[in-house]
Amino acid sequence: MVEKVINLKGLQKKFGKFQALNDVTFSVNAGEVVGFIGPNGAGKSTTIRTLLGIIRRDDGHAEIFGKDVWKDSIEIHKRISYVPGDVSLWRSLTGGEIIDLFIKLHGGGNKQKRDYLIKRFELDPKKKAKGYSKGNRQKVGLIAALSVDSDLYIFDEPTSGLDPLMEAVFQEEVEKIKEAGKAILLSSHILSEVERLADKVVIIRQGKIVETGNLEELRHLTRTTVTLATERNVAEIAGVNGVHDFEQTDNQATFSADNQYFNDILLAATKLGVTKFEAVPPTLEDLFMRHYEG
Amino acid sequence: MREKFTHWDSLFALYLKRDWKKIIVWILGVGLFSAGFVSAFEEIAKGQGLVGMYETLKNPAMIAMVGPTPVESAADYTLGAMYAHEMLLFCGLFAMIMSVLHVVSHTRKEEDLGLTELVRSFQIGRQANSLASMMETIVINALLALFIGGVMMSFGADTISAEGSLLFGASIGFAGIVGAGFALVMAQIMPSSTSATGSALGIVGLLYIIRAGTDVSNVDFSIINPLSWTYLTYPFTENNWIPLIFALIFSAIVVIIAFALEGARDMGAGYLPEREGRGNAKKSLLSVRGLFTKINKGVMIGWLVAFVIMGAAYGSIYGDMQTFLESNEMMKQMFSQSGVSIEESFTGTIMMVMIVLVSILPIAIVNKLFTEESRLHLSQLYATKVTRGQLYWTSIGLAVFAGLAGILLAAGSLGGTAISVMGDSVTMDIVDFLTAGYNFLPSVLFFTGLAALALGWVPKLGKLVYFYLGYSFALNYFGGILDLPEWFSKTAIQSWIPQMPMDDFSTPVFITITVISIALMVMGYLGYSRRDMVEGA
Ligand SMILES: Nc1ncnc2c1ncn2[C@@H]1O[C@H](COP(=O)(O)OP(=O)(O)OP(=O)(O)O)[C@@H](O)[C@H]1O
Ligand SMILES: [Mg+2]
Repeated sequence: MVEKVINLKGLQKKFGKFQALNDVTFSVNAGEVVGFIGPNGAGKSTTIRTLLGIIRRDDGHAEIFGKDVWKDSIEIHKRISYVPGDVSLWRSLTGGEIIDLFIKLHGGGNKQKRDYLIKRFELDPKKKAKGYSKGNRQKVGLIAALSVDSDLYIFDEPTSGLDPLMEAVFQEEVEKIKEAGKAILLSSHILSEVERLADKVVIIRQGKIVETGNLEELRHLTRTTVTLATERNVAEIAGVNGVHDFEQTDNQATFSADNQYFNDILLAATKLGVTKFEAVPPTLEDLFMRHYEG
Repeated sequence: MREKFTHWDSLFALYLKRDWKKIIVWILGVGLFSAGFVSAFEEIAKGQGLVGMYETLKNPAMIAMVGPTPVESAADYTLGAMYAHEMLLFCGLFAMIMSVLHVVSHTRKEEDLGLTELVRSFQIGRQANSLASMMETIVINALLALFIGGVMMSFGADTISAEGSLLFGASIGFAGIVGAGFALVMAQIMPSSTSATGSALGIVGLLYIIRAGTDVSNVDFSIINPLSWTYLTYPFTENNWIPLIFALIFSAIVVIIAFALEGARDMGAGYLPEREGRGNAKKSLLSVRGLFTKINKGVMIGWLVAFVIMGAAYGSIYGDMQTFLESNEMMKQMFSQSGVSIEESFTGTIMMVMIVLVSILPIAIVNKLFTEESRLHLSQLYATKVTRGQLYWTSIGLAVFAGLAGILLAAGSLGGTAISVMGDSVTMDIVDFLTAGYNFLPSVLFFTGLAALALGWVPKLGKLVYFYLGYSFALNYFGGILDLPEWFSKTAIQSWIPQMPMDDFSTPVFITITVISIALMVMGYLGYSRRDMVEGA
């Protein structure tokens, strides 16, 4: 039995009349990196704020390390790190001062790690925060959170505003935490990031979890894009089971295929004399689009 | 040159359209407050009212608060003379403060919020926004002046002439314009909108205190004080328009300076230099208390210095009191009969006023916690082992400390100056002043408690505490002049507290208000510890 680091069941939250969370249920296991994705306003940040005890849930079950996220928040906080998507800093303090402050208030961190991360992220710690760009503010939050040794890391769009180089640095650092066996909840709109880091994906839409599973499983639920060219007229394929969105130019066709009908499609194709066959597995993007639009 | 202001007129029109509701409330509010009390004053003036009021207002304490009158004998003290004497300075202040808040919120504040950047990306001149905001404020104050003049005339009172009414209104309008000028300059110099508002209001406060000193000692010196250009017009008596010409020239110069400063600086930056910072935090910063002290330091130092100056300015008046008594037989009799010295009576009144002002600082510190919350500065802190209780009680503790320090400095500076200027005729020692000051501590705690309650339950209402404070100040201010019904004056918390050294200390009152205040803070904590933090709303 794996230990559940985060365990949410039937989480509900209303802002006035607006139902922001409506039955959010998922879990994060020890050593697992979970990507938390969904359209703008779906409720990702609200879920995370509930987990951190910043706001109070109306109903449902919410535990971290087996403790209630509201009542035992301080116990929980000793073992977690958090970076919000919009790191907002005291204008009159320098980045270095703020990092030190966060580390101290967290209960202490690793000084060498801090200095190493400041170098890695190329941050000038002597600058006052009012002089930082959006990306640099984000780095301050990330460095502070990554400098302390936690069992669970919660990131809410942590790389918003970072340039691609810094984003790569972030991903490398997260991979290190992952290798150390820590749990991570990562909310992000950058799907390549999630695809690279996450073991499991949770998709939320309008306050409801619409899909949960590891990437492989989820890929299976989606169609593969196939490009096929044949010697004889390719039009026949359009009628085969599991073929959708069929488009033909000359004797080449592009369509999407249900994975379970692959055999039928291949059989039909060989009869026509295959000259070209390309199958592109669904990206997280495709998966995502399907849920976002539909 | 011209293109710097390109399209200011479209912005101007936009602002009028956007702000029209605010403008109406502003003009009606300040206007009716300034002009609407004519009938009430007619009541006071009945019988021996005018003569009595004339004598009362000759008291240096009263002059320090409301300003001087040119009238030399009670017989010439008409209704109009009294109205201008008692109302004009206060209304001018009111108009100035409104303009300061408006100008900063339309210039520096929008810049800090990034709106200016958006506007400038359209075909709009670099300085068009400042010009448009300034013009809007001028127009509002002009309308205000006309409105006040019109309302005053409409009462048709004998001694309230048409010329006087217009001058009365114009004096208030010009006070607003001068205030707008200060605000525009500070918006350029200061590093942020908060400090711009704070410093512009600080200048207004300083001018008020300086004029208290000059009005009492030698009113001729007051003419160099921009705030004095309001009441020195003496409407309904001398009808002197010359101070308004000063005001016009002064505002023009100040606004030109502001535009020159703005032209030469970068957007979002101020003139006060940014020092290069530290790469590592000092130990003293590394706690909730250290952090809160650091982020409130500027406000605290600013206000505490202001309290010292305020105490010194009022303290300097003590030297003139005996001279005043010598010249006024009636007053002399009054004081010798009542058994309190004029100094003691003055101390009681002025202390109450000072301590209301001291309360601003603790309110500001408590409200700061919500500002921090809504600016999302605390988001990452919530996820550390810092508890909500720590955040809350550290703020309250700092606020109470600031209140204690504020009283010490205000009362100490008042007493120190007073004792040094009184020379041989000293009747009170410094302990008397400090006791008189700390006697009002419960009222400071009460304001702090109200702010704390708001912070815990409905943080958006935190600003309303300032309104209650302003209301209390106004009640105290007019309480000395008007005969307000008992229940009405008691709606201001400090009216419950006896005014030492005139009155005796009351232990039950001190303890009751203190306990109520602490209860308010505890109730605030109950709310704070269970409400949603305002984020992302
Ligand atoms: N404090 C609040 N008061 C009222 N409504 C809120 C509050 N916080 C969030 N909401 C609403 O709840 C919904 C969910 O917001 P949330 O911030 O959780 O979305 P999100 O999934 O994080 O979106 P994004 O991708 O844009 O960050 C939104 O419609 C938002 O407007
Ligand atoms: Mg979000």
